[in-house]
Amino acid sequence: MGGVYRYDGSGTGLLTLLSRLVADRILPEAIWVEPPPQLGLFAEVTDIPTDLHQAELFWGELSRRLSPATLNLVRHGLLAVYPEHELMICRYLLLAWQVGRSVGGMLTHPQVAPLWKLAQQVGREAHRYKGFVRFQEMAGGYYFAAIAPEHRILPLIAPHFAAHFRDQHWVIHDEKHGEGVVHDRQRREWLLLPMERHVEPDVTSAEERFQALWRNYFAALAIAERENLRLQQSKVPLKVRPWLVEFG
Amino acid sequence: MAVELEDKLAILAEGAKYDVSCASSGSVRRNRDGIGNAASCGICHSWTSDGRCVSLLKILMTNSCIYDCAYCVNRRSHDVQRVMLTPAEVAELTIGFYRRNYIEGLFLSTGVVRSPDYTMELLIEAVRSLRQEHRFNGYIHLKLVPGADPLLVQEAGLLADRVSINLELPTREGLTLLAPDKSRDAVIGPMRQVNSLIVVNRAERQASRKVPRFAPAGQSTQLIVGATNESDHQIVTLSEQLYRRLDLKRVYYSAFIPVMADTRLPATPVSPLRREHRLYQADWLLRYYGFQAHELLDAGTPNLDTDLDPKTGWALRHLALFPVEVNRAEYEVLLRVPGIGVRSAQRIVRARRQGHLGIDDLALLGVVMKRARYFVTARGRYAGEGALDSRMLRSRLVDTTAPQKTKQMALPLFQPLPSDVALSTVTGEL
Repeated sequence: MGGVYRYDGSGTGLLTLLSRLVADRILPEAIWVEPPPQLGLFAEVTDIPTDLHQAELFWGELSRRLSPATLNLVRHGLLAVYPEHELMICRYLLLAWQVGRSVGGMLTHPQVAPLWKLAQQVGREAHRYKGFVRFQEMAGGYYFAAIAPEHRILPLIAPHFAAHFRDQHWVIHDEKHGEGVVHDRQRREWLLLPMERHVEPDVTSAEERFQALWRNYFAALAIAERENLRLQQSKVPLKVRPWLVEFG
Repeated sequence: MAVELEDKLAILAEGAKYDVSCASSGSVRRNRDGIGNAASCGICHSWTSDGRCVSLLKILMTNSCIYDCAYCVNRRSHDVQRVMLTPAEVAELTIGFYRRNYIEGLFLSTGVVRSPDYTMELLIEAVRSLRQEHRFNGYIHLKLVPGADPLLVQEAGLLADRVSINLELPTREGLTLLAPDKSRDAVIGPMRQVNSLIVVNRAERQASRKVPRFAPAGQSTQLIVGATNESDHQIVTLSEQLYRRLDLKRVYYSAFIPVMADTRLPATPVSPLRREHRLYQADWLLRYYGFQAHELLDAGTPNLDTDLDPKTGWALRHLALFPVEVNRAEYEVLLRVPGIGVRSAQRIVRARRQGHLGIDDLALLGVVMKRARYFVTARGRYAGEGALDSRMLRSRLVDTTAPQKTKQMALPLFQPLPSDVALSTVTGEL
């Protein structure tokens, strides 16, 4: 038990680390991402190098051991961006190895509740972003959208957009986490890639027209007698508005 | 006179916005080779400054109308600019907005021009062009025109995901008073027809999956609340019948907003938003919580309590049934506990299989303990203080979500003059 572990911050890296910890039934004191926040004077740090093969094997083992619902919980946890989410997943998996599939019902267990709550937040954010993504038609013949979610939700929303817009080339860029999804309409598949944006690409003239139409429509839709800005703000937080055409 | 598309859009959105239906859920329509699909869970894309969600492009085909219904912005005698969209324009807007992920689909309604049949054909033409020429598989909610030919109704249902006719006024008397050109039977008739078409379609699809779906997301309707003097009891009972007999998916309630002066309309300066909210809560109790209308309201208490949600109100009238033990109570009993919703009841049932639940566990499962604490025990422990007493509980549970403005204690010198008092009753503050 105990010890401080370090991985490279990627999902694959975390799975590699977890496979080691769970196999040896180790609950670390802390899990760090390079570079470490503050090196404790007496802490011995174990570096775990990322190993794609081992990570894939471990994911296969998870799929066999866990029910679809609990596997989804772990998946959401892996995509979360939250302090100590690695430890939450680790505690959960150690319990799952101990009690088997009945872990699915132990919603109030202290090794379950924190991860479960976090996974819910991730799932909720992913659902909201199915509505909040705004595509722009680009001169290059594709549709582009930028978002800045709290969690790394792209893998959760990409299948939805792939089904929705299967006849479009489209790109969704997560500016906060520096990754993006690219959808190819000929091959009908999507890819998650590291992504940076350097130049503002050109939008088409139709794009500007539709943005104007939408803003105009959105403004006409509100009923003045029922104004409720507090409710609006709880539904559309200020932090997402810079990416929404109608609030621009 | 050519009107720019931009102006038409604003005018026709203005005419459609009082229709509150917003759902984009409950349908199944796969995207085979075109654009869009209809997911089973609804997706909201934005929220306007009144806090209502935007999920569909909600628009009228035209705001011209041969009827003169007193509550409606598009009534014949209202002095507004009249415009009309072509089916091609409807398709252009829908596809353009959809591709940019502004909307989840189309809600197409209309004023009635020339005749109900002619108008219905216009709507069908627009939707057909979307489905067939543009291969649009997104969600479409289509309004049926009261009095339209049954064959047209059938055609509409094969193209749309959801169809609806608005009942608007809960009672026959109200309809005669405010919408003299419409008869109740002209509204109920097509609703019955749609219901039987859905039932027949379901049976046919059991026999063969190749039969196309008829209105897979069912039908809905809307009631205006507060334009005539019916009671909540009448409204909730009507909704219950609509759900039971006509198998409606949703009944929407729209607090009456006086958009125009008319001697037949009540002169209420404040629209009954709180009442609308309570009606929705009662509606949810009917649909998801196993309540019946007569349990919530009766002739003795014809209106919902504005200070308490209807479930808490019911619980306070039936205190003998409480507290319930969360580790043993049936799912249906849990659903009736104030502060426990459908999800938390399901979680309780799931979690208690793995071990007894304590009071502290309930909050983790999503139970609102502020209300539930007075009505449950966990492992025999009761978390509310004191004995169950209706009056004491009522004072603790009164809804405090609408903050009451605290009045400033003022010296006589600073008290408002009579003219200020008149002004403040309009704005609602002192």
